[in-house]
Amino acid sequence: MQISNMVVGQFYPGTSILHRVDPRTKIIAACAFVIVLFMVNGFEGLAVMGAGLAAVIALAGIPLSWLWRGLKPVLFLLVITFAFQLFLSGGEELWRLGPVTVYRAGLVQGAFLTARLLLLVLSGSILTFSTPPVLLTDALGRLMEPLAKLKIPAYELALMMTIALRFIPTLVMEVDRIIKAQKARGAVTSGGGLLVRARGIMPVLVPLFVMSFRHADELALAMESRCWRGGRGRTIRRKLAFSNKDAVFATVVLAVLAASLWMGRFR
Amino acid sequence: MRLELENVSMVYQSGTPFSARALEDVSLTVEPGERLAVAGPVGSGKSTLLAILAGVETPTSGRVIHGTREISRRQTPPPGSIGLAFQSPENCLFEKTVYSDVSFAPRRQGLDGQEVRRRVENSLAAVGTDPASIGQRSPFSLSIGEQRRVALAGVLAMEPRALLLDEPTAYLDPAARRELIMQLVELNEQTGVTMVMVGHDMDELARFAGRLVIIDGGRKVAEGRAESILTDSALLAGHSLDPPGTVELCSLLSAATGDQVAPALSEEQAIETLMQIMEGKC
Repeated sequence: MQISNMVVGQFYPGTSILHRVDPRTKIIAACAFVIVLFMVNGFEGLAVMGAGLAAVIALAGIPLSWLWRGLKPVLFLLVITFAFQLFLSGGEELWRLGPVTVYRAGLVQGAFLTARLLLLVLSGSILTFSTPPVLLTDALGRLMEPLAKLKIPAYELALMMTIALRFIPTLVMEVDRIIKAQKARGAVTSGGGLLVRARGIMPVLVPLFVMSFRHADELALAMESRCWRGGRGRTIRRKLAFSNKDAVFATVVLAVLAASLWMGRFR
Repeated sequence: MRLELENVSMVYQSGTPFSARALEDVSLTVEPGERLAVAGPVGSGKSTLLAILAGVETPTSGRVIHGTREISRRQTPPPGSIGLAFQSPENCLFEKTVYSDVSFAPRRQGLDGQEVRRRVENSLAAVGTDPASIGQRSPFSLSIGEQRRVALAGVLAMEPRALLLDEPTAYLDPAARRELIMQLVELNEQTGVTMVMVGHDMDELARFAGRLVIIDGGRKVAEGRAESILTDSALLAGHSLDPPGTVELCSLLSAATGDQVAPALSEEQAIETLMQIMEGKC
């Protein structure tokens, strides 16, 4: 596997309206979407939500191949969910193949849960596809601001997230380097039995830890030398501001969610 | 061992918006036993070239050949045939003692205890360290310069047929730089191991290289004997590189005396040239 080909956060650059909507609006919309997703019963509601999501994906101009890359890691989970529901429920028999029996209720339930899971993953993906990681953490920090009144260090938490995100590509690159260098020295990093692999990980893990601690030390020094003293009284350069776009986007999302709730629950 | 690149191109993350072209249609032959330097500005693709040459990175297109064997993702070079040291190889030290870190590769190669010991002692000595005094110390207790030497010894201990080095002298002090280059040259002359070194300090490359290749913007822009490329100030300047100090001195002398002063590549040559000029003056 070529680690350096991994896209972290999977942000897809663009200039669509979805890319320009305030990240806070997007986060709240995604949360609301997920909540409604679990309130809706029946396929009609899901269909409305799916149509809404498809419209948003089309609007953002995210190619299907990119979407597929985001879905690949959870594909296994989707298949397992469907299979379990299919075989392990009771009721009316649909067909029988050797020891395996498929029930009607299982098929329906499996399809419903898989669709719900798919929409769940997609809605989260759309958020990270259309929002650069730094903006995402900025927005989370702003949304958590009221928590500061409860003595929860919201700003520091957001900063930690930003730093963690910032260092993922750096560390991925370094791991890639270390693996290649150690492989050239005959270290085994893939394949082989569990014991071989466990031993093979030490030549990668030790240098990675040493380097991470060094990074952390240097970063802390650099921040202190530039007079960083925590979040209190700090102003923000990248100001987030709601605009008309947010109002339009929020209205559309609300309309879709209301429609799906009506279709899937209160009808 | 002869190393060959045939029309190699490399694109990172191709097919995504982050696609980045690192190399474009580079062909290169490294003759057995030679000392080749690859120079170029920062971000020119030199490190990618080295990784592809070593067979740890697979090019998007083109062929990589080690000796008579074509290298691909499936067909990796046989273990121990290529010694590769990325920039700051000391970042890859991991064992408890210097001895066990340097002996890691030979132990993985399945050599017997006596042979392992011989190789560790030889390679530590080859990089100018004393195996007896630092062998049992933790590599992390050493200075960066010593760590660098130990890490290089760990690569040498495989007794590779080709040694590929990415800026082996970066972050070392001037004396240590000079010494390391001398040791590398000596090692090449004694054992005939093929060497490729990536760098951008022309003084250093002048002391090291027999032949020199310049890479800029992912393309090979010049290739030839070190004397002819390193004395071509216009060519070097065109690729954000400085000629060696001695070459610069000679061109200043040319300008000052009005005579053509032949460019000198080493301090000895430069001194000789100066002596001649002074004799002419007296």
